[in-house]
Amino acid sequence: MNPVIELDRLSVRYGGYPAVRDVSLQVLPGELYALLGTNGAGKTSTLETIEGHRSADGGSVRVFGEDPARRRAVRPRTGIMLQNGGFSPDLDVRESLELFGALSGRKDDGQRVLDVVGLGHRARVRVAQLSGGEQRRLDFATAIWGTPELIVLDEPTTGLDVNARDDLWAVVGALRSEGTTFLLTTHYLEEAQEYADRIGVMQQGRLRLEGTVADITSTLPGRISFRLTPGVSAPAQAERMPDGGFTITTARMQNDLHALLGWADVNAVQLHALEAGSPRLDDVLRSIADDQPDRSEEER
Amino acid sequence: MTVAIAASELKQIIRNKSVLISATAIPLGTSALLILGRDSYRDFPAGLGFAVAAMMTSIAALGLYVTAVTTLAARRQTLFLKRLRSTAAGDTGILTGLLAPPVLISAVQVVIVLGVLASITEGPANPLLLALSGVLLIALMLALALATVGVTRSPEHAQVTTLPITLGAIALAMWIGLTSADSLPLLKALLPTGATTRLSINAWNGGAPVEQNLLLLLPTLGWIAAALVMTKITFHWEPRR
Repeated sequence: MNPVIELDRLSVRYGGYPAVRDVSLQVLPGELYALLGTNGAGKTSTLETIEGHRSADGGSVRVFGEDPARRRAVRPRTGIMLQNGGFSPDLDVRESLELFGALSGRKDDGQRVLDVVGLGHRARVRVAQLSGGEQRRLDFATAIWGTPELIVLDEPTTGLDVNARDDLWAVVGALRSEGTTFLLTTHYLEEAQEYADRIGVMQQGRLRLEGTVADITSTLPGRISFRLTPGVSAPAQAERMPDGGFTITTARMQNDLHALLGWADVNAVQLHALEAGSPRLDDVLRSIADDQPDRSEEER
Repeated sequence: MTVAIAASELKQIIRNKSVLISATAIPLGTSALLILGRDSYRDFPAGLGFAVAAMMTSIAALGLYVTAVTTLAARRQTLFLKRLRSTAAGDTGILTGLLAPPVLISAVQVVIVLGVLASITEGPANPLLLALSGVLLIALMLALALATVGVTRSPEHAQVTTLPITLGAIALAMWIGLTSADSLPLLKALLPTGATTRLSINAWNGGAPVEQNLLLLLPTLGWIAAALVMTKITFHWEPRR
């Protein structure tokens, strides 16, 4: 199966600053790939290179096997939702959509697409009069115009309320069932956790982790937390937290939870607010951010 | 695709009152004043050709050059250019589409004001040469506009960055029209818009030898080339980070 997107040792620099360093990844047909990372991790630079807005300083980028700078070859197959802006305040919603739709090289019906994103009733309103959330929906409408094979979503749900976010993901789901491939960046990690087939985690320009949610979260131990009645001693492996509770970090969740419950039973101890869970994506991002060497140190 | 961009741009210019006024009312108003004072120019060294050169330069500078720089700076600042480049449209097609409406508006204005002047005077001695000087002036102003956009941060900043060319071109038209053709002819021809100003005066008044007019093409072509080289170096499609 040929990848839709293929990065091979991609590097992007701004002057002397390396924004993206030796990133290699593939996005396969039909999958939803989420590129995550903290601010300044290199996600946007990577995405802009894939979109053809920026050229690589090293390595290569291929979209549908083509250089993404070859717009006439790549763009009719690619819908792009930018992070923000780009619409003229002097055009109305439908004019804006139909302009960018016509320029995409794909065919569709303006009113149909506006209805899909919930802007059908705002078709003749000037873009200047749209709310921030409505402008994001218009942006999404330009990306899905003509049902492209690949859709790149840069922070698609930022500025959307909960219902609008659900609506957007419903449309994404419908398009995925038709075989559309998605590349996504988002700060809403729960969305990546719920919808992404695979995730790439970037930090300081490098792709630090890649895999399914399960693959990535399995890189960190799980956590059991509980509280004890004052005066009761905790088991030896429990670490006391600043809030007075206790935490056990474990790579063998079932065994350690069993041991803890057994200890509580034998010692007739009540475990309050007991919680046990696998790590979440935000735990992984935090751990990567914490253990990363200082940038200036690394560049030396 | 270029036609779709141009149609959309024309719609935006028409809907944006301040852009529309600066692109039409100001150059047309200036031209109207020049036409009304036509009899007083007959004693000038360049004769009625002075009014012709001044009108063409005013329209090209105020109507085309300023509008082009302001439009491109605004479209870049709002990321409209980036969004256009997110489509299948090519860079040349995008710029052509965005600049076609101000070119069209300016060309129509030049034709109207020169048509009015021709109808109430004896008209140009060499209409073809006049058309050529008009085309060269438009090409030069477009090239200078593209070069200026590269050093312009925002549409507000365009009010500053367009001043040297705008005021320079109008002052040069005055200088050439109000002084003898024998006074510093080489310097006048080598300055930007100087050659097109002289060419339009020669075209209206007649009498200049063909080889002199042909020589006047060279400085303009040189300035266009220089402006395009500068554009290649400085033009950027997105706001600087």
